[in-house]
Amino acid sequence: MSESRTLDRLRLGLRSLFARRRVEAELQAELDLHVEMQTAEYVAAGVPPREARERALRLLGARGAVEEECRDTRRTRPLETFLQDLRYGVRALRWNPLFAAMAALSLALGIGANTAIFSLAHALLLRPLPVERPAELVAVGDPRRANSYSEGGMQDYLISTPMYRLLRDEVSAFNGLYASGRAGRVLVGADGPDAAGGEPEAVRARIVSGNFFSLLGVGAWRGRTFTAGEDRAPGEAPVAVISYDYWQRRFGGESTAVGRTLLLNDQPFTVVGVAQRGFFGDVVGGATDIWLPLAEQPQLNRGHDWRQRWDVQWLLLMGRLRPGATVEQARGEVQATFDRVMKSRAGGLIDPAWLPEDLSQLRVPVGPGGHGFSALREYLRQPLPTLVALVALVLLVACVNIATLLLERATSRQKEITVRLALGAGRGRLVRQLLTESLVLALLGGGLGVVVAWGADVGLLALLDLPRSALDLRPDVTVLGFTALVAVATGVAFGLVPALAATRSALAPALRERSRSTAGGGSGRGSLARLLVVGQVAASLLLLAGAGLFVRSLRNLQTADLGYESHGLLMLGVDPESAGYAGDRVGPMLGDLLARLAAVPGVAAVSVSENGIFSGTESSTAIVIAGRPPRDDDEGVAYDRVGPRYFETVGIPILRGRGIGPRGVAGAPPVAVVNEAMAREYFPGEDPLGHRFAEKSKPDVVYEIVGISTDARDHDLRGEVGPRYYAPLLQAVGDVSAFNVELRTGFAKAAGDSPRLEAAIRDAARAVDPRLRVIGPLAVERSIEAWLRGDRLVATLATVLGLLALVLASIGLYGVVAHATARRTNEIGIRMVMGARRRAVVWMVLRETLLLAGAGIAVGLVAVLGSARLVASRLHGLSPHDAPTLAAAALVLLVVGLVAGSIPGARAARIDPMRSLRQE
Amino acid sequence: MGKPSDLVQGTLDLLILKTLSLEPKHGWAIAKRIQQVSQEVLQVQQGSLYPALHRLEQQGWIRAAWRSTETGRLAKFYSLTRSGRRQLEKELAQWERLSNAVDLVASMA
Repeated sequence: MSESRTLDRLRLGLRSLFARRRVEAELQAELDLHVEMQTAEYVAAGVPPREARERALRLLGARGAVEEECRDTRRTRPLETFLQDLRYGVRALRWNPLFAAMAALSLALGIGANTAIFSLAHALLLRPLPVERPAELVAVGDPRRANSYSEGGMQDYLISTPMYRLLRDEVSAFNGLYASGRAGRVLVGADGPDAAGGEPEAVRARIVSGNFFSLLGVGAWRGRTFTAGEDRAPGEAPVAVISYDYWQRRFGGESTAVGRTLLLNDQPFTVVGVAQRGFFGDVVGGATDIWLPLAEQPQLNRGHDWRQRWDVQWLLLMGRLRPGATVEQARGEVQATFDRVMKSRAGGLIDPAWLPEDLSQLRVPVGPGGHGFSALREYLRQPLPTLVALVALVLLVACVNIATLLLERATSRQKEITVRLALGAGRGRLVRQLLTESLVLALLGGGLGVVVAWGADVGLLALLDLPRSALDLRPDVTVLGFTALVAVATGVAFGLVPALAATRSALAPALRERSRSTAGGGSGRGSLARLLVVGQVAASLLLLAGAGLFVRSLRNLQTADLGYESHGLLMLGVDPESAGYAGDRVGPMLGDLLARLAAVPGVAAVSVSENGIFSGTESSTAIVIAGRPPRDDDEGVAYDRVGPRYFETVGIPILRGRGIGPRGVAGAPPVAVVNEAMAREYFPGEDPLGHRFAEKSKPDVVYEIVGISTDARDHDLRGEVGPRYYAPLLQAVGDVSAFNVELRTGFAKAAGDSPRLEAAIRDAARAVDPRLRVIGPLAVERSIEAWLRGDRLVATLATVLGLLALVLASIGLYGVVAHATARRTNEIGIRMVMGARRRAVVWMVLRETLLLAGAGIAVGLVAVLGSARLVASRLHGLSPHDAPTLAAAALVLLVVGLVAGSIPGARAARIDPMRSLRQE
Repeated sequence: MGKPSDLVQGTLDLLILKTLSLEPKHGWAIAKRIQQVSQEVLQVQQGSLYPALHRLEQQGWIRAAWRSTETGRLAKFYSLTRSGRRQLEKELAQWERLSNAVDLVASMA
């Protein structure tokens, strides 16, 4: 192609884009001249001027079509058309700002809700760790166990410190393997001379091997990160790296933070660096504040040295694949090393009792690790499909709303559209233009939706009891792409039907039709709008019914009979090993602690147990009843070891026999109290008292059943209470590493309600031994609330979305009825002239509303019944067909529908018959 | 005058280019010229003349400029570009081949 030709074409393209007005004027002038010359020719041939012009025009053909054809030859035509449509779209929206605002707002809420849930799922499930080449990372161990710890018994989902060292040195598929484990509770005390007073601050800390930062490729923002040598031997001067966020929070971003000393659990650690900005660690949903070297683990958890313990499994590992190596290869090598150690029992260091009978049961999970570790991920995976369904429904309702509004607008623009069709505008072109208008609306809604989503995500985190920094919810390319996709899809979805309907009409009837038809609302478009509104009401009923069901289910859980009074019950976690207590010394220390706590004013009763109530730790074991063969189907029995006065303190009634008394001390014959469920399960029709049983794994310790308690919900609110027994704690004190003290008080609820009592309780513990680490006290009611946060999240969201759908549906109903009424002004006028009463007119309008709402409710109820199975598993204590809930949802919709219909009804009643007829 | 034969698809471009090879003309004059030269046999559908002109312009084969007509009216005059001239030669050669072939079949069969 010659250069000048290219230039010509470029010039034309630019002209048609940027000098559009001029190009258009030239086109008109060119065609005008043509007609003029043709007319002149006819006139010269003797045709009268008027007729000459008409014939010239006819010769040219449909001028609009000719113009369009000329425009179509332009290479920039598609872009040009789009820009033009865009201008029309924006202008059309500006003509009707109320409509535009309402539509954009509905969309913003619908799209925002979807974006919020998506970005939550994205941050949790899809977004890779902010590290170098995350695709190469391989996780060893179960990534969900980011905060777990297991002692005694070999597990495959967590790794012990010696096992980590072995895997790091032996697995050749990795270019490096780091370890990362929970640091437990870490308190940062006031540091150095500039110490401020007050309570120490709890931080999220993680213990990591020295190669953590180098393997992930995360550098230091200030100072340095760890060196590989840092985890060989406990340092003379222990070091720590802090996160950028923590640096900002605690040190206000001062550069003097590097080199400062922090007291972590009373041990001095020197801050050597601040990690790269935006790096939250390897745990998704629990941003790390401080990283500490693996070698310092004994310093941090005083009294617990896990460096040579094969039975303490607390680490998750992350390896970087060597180029060319595969995950399968890594899995094979890890398993081979693991199997070898288990077979040789690490040269006798592993107690045979820790191993399962069948070693092949132990399979270390090895899989892609680029998404990091997360306990939260599993926890949110369950309600996520429900949430996605809810927000999708809301978006659907919003879409229908806008489709209805657009349909009505298309009706009022019918004449314009018909005229344009008649002038030769192609139908495709018109549909495209109407669609562009919808897209402008959708993109506007999408843009606002991003803002809504950002706010909603902040609310979601609060609902989940998570700090703002826990999840990276900043919208990134993927999230924005999702939003744009949803916006465009909705724009097409709600725009296409009205656009097609508006341009479908046969030309002649529409042109002949006068602006207000006396025949009224029976037109095809009107019934399409009705159909849409019925669908909208149905979807809203689905949402409202869902909200009702979830709220009632939550309510059932919250008011479930626990079997004891949770109000005023506090739990205090105690870690004797932190203060160096072990073996025989634990018992007396506990006795001293309980006595001191009982003396605290406001404390009515005190007891202690291993697992506590809603503490998150539970034990279960398989049992054998003396004199009976072991049962094959035994699923295990939950148990707790409890101190004296446990049943009185918690408030679990003993039905028969006795509780665990102070006599249950070391050396006395073991006794046990069983709950009713256990009595029913193992001794149907018998008296369990006097029977004996043993744990399958410890056949030597035989318990005699001395009492039967009622069933109590101690760790779970769902389902039936399972079999459970209580054994004396003080007989087995040496086996237990952590205790939960139960305190019965007159006080309640949230921590902070009774700060003085709480301080007094902590002081009492400190008086026993200042080194003793305690957690809490924490109100059991609060633990239960935390346990319910998943259900609360779903119930709250369902309610908010249900109300949103209600508002949207009422706008939809109102719009359709109001429009239909306006179209019937004439008819209503005639009816009134003929003697119809105003009441009859109002009823006529209301009846229409009721018909629409009723049809929607009927369809909705069918949908609810059809989809009930999907939510049944998430409901507690009520059926998904729960009649009162469904009836209430239907009633609410009906009432709102009536209100929506009464406004146009009242307007209809005010119609002045004479004026309405004159309007015609 | 009988009904003028419809122009064979694609020949309109050839006729326009040929007409413009003598001197620049505006749209109406092009149509008139084709009509005259063909002794009223070929009548350009006015509705398709302008889209064709615009398409040729977009192709870079003709170029437009606003000039005064003999009567002093401002009109859009089209003229052939260099690549337009080459295109005309191509189209002429092709037309010759085609019409020769039609002639052959017409005289033999």
